[in-house]
Amino acid sequence: MVDQVSGPRGRGRSLNKVPWLIALPAVAALIGLRFLPSIVGGTFAFTDWNGADANWIGFDNFFAIFRDPTTSNALVHTFQLAGLLVVICNVLGLMLAMSLRTAFKTRNLMRAMFFLPFALSHLATGYIWQYIFQYSGPLNRILGAAGLESWQLVWLADPNWAIYTILVVLVWQYTGLTMVIYLAGLEGIPDELHDAVAMDGASPWLKFRKVTLPLLAPAITVSATLTLIYGLGAFDQVLSMTGGGPVNATETLATQVWQNTFVYGRFGYGSALALILTGLVAILSIAQVSLLRYQETRL
Amino acid sequence: MASIHLKNVGKRYPDGNRAVIDLNLDIADGDFMVLVGPSGCGKTTALRMVAGLEEISEGEIHLGGELINDVEPGKRDIAMVFQNYALYPHMSVFENIAFPLLSQGVPRAERRDRVERTAAVLGISDMLDRKPRTLSGGQRQRVAMGRAIVREPQAFLMDEPLSNLDAKLRVQMRSEISRIQAELGITTIYVTHDQVEAMTMGTRIAVMRKGVLQQEGSPEVIYGQPANLFVAAFIGSPGMNFVTAELSRRGDDLVLGIGPQELVLPPKTLAQRPALLEHESGSIVIGIRPEHLSLPPTDNSAKLKATVERSEMLGAERLLHVSISAKPVSADEIMEAAEEVSAAAPAMLQDGSKGDEVALIARIDPSIVPQPGSTVELGVGLDRLHFFDLESGRAVL
Amino acid sequence: MRDRYSRKTLIWEVLLLLLAIAFCLPLYLLVSISLKPPQELFTSPLTFPTDLHFENFSRAWQARNSGGMASAMISSVIITVGSVATLIVIGSLSAYAIARRPGKLSATLYTLFVIGIIVPFQLTVLPLFVLFRSLGLIGTYLGMIILWVGILTPLTVFLYTGFVRTIPRDYEEAARMDGAGLVRTYVQVVFPLLRPITGTVAILTGLFIWNDFFASLIFLGGSGRETLPVAIYSFVGEYLTQWNLVFAAVVIALAPLLVFFLIAQKQMIRGFSGGIRG
Repeated sequence: MVDQVSGPRGRGRSLNKVPWLIALPAVAALIGLRFLPSIVGGTFAFTDWNGADANWIGFDNFFAIFRDPTTSNALVHTFQLAGLLVVICNVLGLMLAMSLRTAFKTRNLMRAMFFLPFALSHLATGYIWQYIFQYSGPLNRILGAAGLESWQLVWLADPNWAIYTILVVLVWQYTGLTMVIYLAGLEGIPDELHDAVAMDGASPWLKFRKVTLPLLAPAITVSATLTLIYGLGAFDQVLSMTGGGPVNATETLATQVWQNTFVYGRFGYGSALALILTGLVAILSIAQVSLLRYQETRL
Repeated sequence: MASIHLKNVGKRYPDGNRAVIDLNLDIADGDFMVLVGPSGCGKTTALRMVAGLEEISEGEIHLGGELINDVEPGKRDIAMVFQNYALYPHMSVFENIAFPLLSQGVPRAERRDRVERTAAVLGISDMLDRKPRTLSGGQRQRVAMGRAIVREPQAFLMDEPLSNLDAKLRVQMRSEISRIQAELGITTIYVTHDQVEAMTMGTRIAVMRKGVLQQEGSPEVIYGQPANLFVAAFIGSPGMNFVTAELSRRGDDLVLGIGPQELVLPPKTLAQRPALLEHESGSIVIGIRPEHLSLPPTDNSAKLKATVERSEMLGAERLLHVSISAKPVSADEIMEAAEEVSAAAPAMLQDGSKGDEVALIARIDPSIVPQPGSTVELGVGLDRLHFFDLESGRAVL
Repeated sequence: MRDRYSRKTLIWEVLLLLLAIAFCLPLYLLVSISLKPPQELFTSPLTFPTDLHFENFSRAWQARNSGGMASAMISSVIITVGSVATLIVIGSLSAYAIARRPGKLSATLYTLFVIGIIVPFQLTVLPLFVLFRSLGLIGTYLGMIILWVGILTPLTVFLYTGFVRTIPRDYEEAARMDGAGLVRTYVQVVFPLLRPITGTVAILTGLFIWNDFFASLIFLGGSGRETLPVAIYSFVGEYLTQWNLVFAAVVIALAPLLVFFLIAQKQMIRGFSGGIRG
C-alpha cells in the first residue's frame, strides 16, 4: 500500500522491495469476510432481530440463554465434549505417536490407518457410527455375542449415554490428527538426545517426563489447541448421529447456533450463542496457549 | 567489461550503525579485486551495494564511467556468485544457467548455444539435465559460475564462493576461478575472510576492518609493506611476529632494545624510513615475518637469543615456536586479526606472551630439530623488519 | 539398538496392527453394508455380504434429491478446486509481502491474520448470509468460493508466511541480479520454491472445504448446487433406515477422497505435520 520512495539518495529509498499491493486481496478478504462480519454478528447478539424489526435489548439474549435449559445444557455439553476430547485425544495420540516411532514393518501403513478417519467427511462417517450404535446394530450384537446382554443399551436414545457416543466418534476422528502432530514433534527431537539419555541410564518414565515431554511442548500446544477448537465447534457428528436428541441431550453450542438462526429465525438469539462460542474459543485457546508456553519456558 | 569506482561510499542503517565508512576504491578494467577482512568488516555490504542489493546511503558507485546508484540490480549488467550459490532448486542445470538469458529475452536458439558453450568452458556439459541437489559441492560451484559467465557481464561479484567447499576442492576451485577470470578478462570483486584466498587469487587486495578500508594494493605490497598493524597481522599464515622495542641512538646508529638484547640497525634503515627519527628514545612496535627469522643465522645477520618451546613439522618446513624476554604487543588490531585464524588464538597469544615473555614463530629448514627448552640464536633479517607506531598502529616509514 | 527388530517388537507390532484394524472397522462396515441386501442388515451386520448387491450404488447414484450424487460431486469439485486455487494465489502473494517487508505493518498484519484463524465461522455466518443474499451469491459456486476464501485466507497466509521466512533471500537476489523483474521473480523463482507449503495448504484447505457440511448446508441448501455432504444429509433424510442405500451413497461421497488418500497418504500426513510445524 505504501511504498516509501524518497529522494534518489535518501535513506529508506526502496531498492527491489516487494510491493504491499500484492497483499491487498488477502487483507481485503480478512477484513471484509472475517472481521467486519464478526463485528456485525457481535452486534446482532444484543438485538432481538428475527427477520423483521430489530431492537437493542442489551444482554437479554444472554440472560435468556442461561435461563433456557436447552441452551444452558448445550453449553454444558460443549464443555464436556471439548474437555474430554482434548484430554483423551492427546493422551491417545501421544501414545500412538510414540509407539509408531518404533521401526515396525507396517509402520507407515498403521500411521495411515489411524489418520484415515480424520480425512473423511465428518458428516458421512457420523452415519456409519449411527448405524453402529443402533439398538440392533453391530455394537450391541458384539456385546450380546460376548455374553454382556446387560450392557446392551439404546445408545443413541439414552439421554445419559448419547453424548458419549458422540465423544467416541470425535475421539475416533481426531486421534489420528494428534498422532500426526506428535509424530512431527518427536521427529524434531534429535536422536543424539535420546542416545545421551539412554547413556545416562535414565528409566523410560524419567526419560519421557524430563526429555520427551518438555521438548514436545510446542506440539502439545498446537495439538491441544486444535482439538479444543474442534471440540467446541462439534456440529457435523451431532447432526448426523443424534440431531441434538434425545430430548436435547446432545445439543451443543454449534448446533444451537444453527438451529436458532437458520431453523427458528431467531437471529439475535443465535448471534448471542455464536458470540458465546467465540468468547469460549478465544479465552480457552489463549489460556491454553499461555499455560503451555509458560510450561515451555519453565522447562 | 568495465572499471568500477567507489567514491566516498558509506552504508548507514536506520539505527545509526555504519557498516561501511567512506570507502574509495578504483578497480581497473579486468582487475581481480579481493575484499578481505574479518567478519563484520563491511566487505559483504560493500559488495552488495555494488550489486544493487543494498541501498547506497552515501557516495557514488560508477560502473564503466556510469553512475549506477539508482540502477536496478538486473540492469547493472553485473553477475553475482552467492555464498550458497543460490541455484534455483526446481530448475535443471541448463535452466539455471539459461535463466539470466531468459530474463534478458535472448532467443531460444541463442540461449541453448550460449549455455552449451558456457558449460563446455566449465566442464559441466554432461550435467545440464540434472537438478542442483544431485550435484556435488564443486559441481554446484561450477553451475553458479556458469550462471554468472553466460551473461558476459561487465563485472563479476563473488561473495565467499568457496566457503562451502572442503579444503582440497577449495584449492582446486581457487585456481579454476582465477583461470576463468583471466581468460574472460572480466572485472571481478571477490569477497572473502580467508587471507590465503586473497593472496592467491587477487590481482589487487583491499583489506577492510570495521567498515574502513585499511589498505589497497597488489598482493606483494599488502604482504611486503603492510600499512598498519592490522594488515600486518591479518595477512600471512602463520602471522607476523610482533614485539615492543625501545628505539635509541648510539652515535650514528639506531639501536633497538628488545628486552635485555639489542639489535643495531644498519644506516640504510634510517635512510629508508626517515620517520623512525620521530620515535627516537621511545617505544616502537617491530614486526618480522616467520620466514625472516633464520636458524642457523646467516653470517652477516643480527642475532637474537631465544628459548625453544616446541616445533611443528609441516613437511617442507618447520615452524619453530620460541620465546624471548621482551615486552609483548597487545593491540586490538592484532587480537582481532588473530581471532580470524582461530577463536582461541588471542588467548594463546597472550598466554605465550605473559608479562615480559614474547612468543615468536620462525619458519626453518625441517631437517633442523632443536630441542624444546634449549636456547638458540635466531638470525634476524634487519632489512625485513617492519616498524609500527605504538599508539596509532600505523607503519613508520 | 533402537532399531533392532526383536521378538518383543514383533508382538508389539501385531497388537498395534490389530488396534489399527479395529480403528478402521467402521469403514469395513461401511463398504460391506453398502453391498448388502436389506434383509442382511440386522441379521448379520458384521459378516461380509453373501453376494454383492451393486445395484445399491446405482440406486443411490440415481436418487434425485439435491440434484443427485453426480451433480453434488461436480459441485464439490468446482467449489474445492476454485477455492483452493484462489487461496493459494492470494495467500502466497500476501505472505510474500508480509515475510519480505519486515516492520510494524508486517507484524500488525501477521497478528491480524492469526486472530482471523481463531474467530469461529459461526459468528460471521449470519451477516455473511444476509450480505450474500443481497448480492445474489447464495446457492452459487462463486458465492461459495468467496465464502471459503474468506474463511481460510488467514490460515493460508499464516502457513505461507512461516515458510517464506525460512527461504533464503539469495534466490530472489540472484534472480534480480539475473535481470528478472518482480513478476518473473515471483512466478519462476519464488512460487516454485514454495511448492512444499503449497502442497500442505492445498491438502489442508481442500480437505476442509471438501468435507464441510455446516457452511455448505446454509449457503447451498436447496439450491441444486449442494456439495456431497449436503447431498448425503438430504439423502439420509429421505432413505433413513435403508442403511444399505445410505452407505452406498456415503461410499460414493467418500470415494474420491479415499482414492486421493490411498495415492497421497504419505504426502498428506507429511503435509499436515509440515504445516503444523512450519
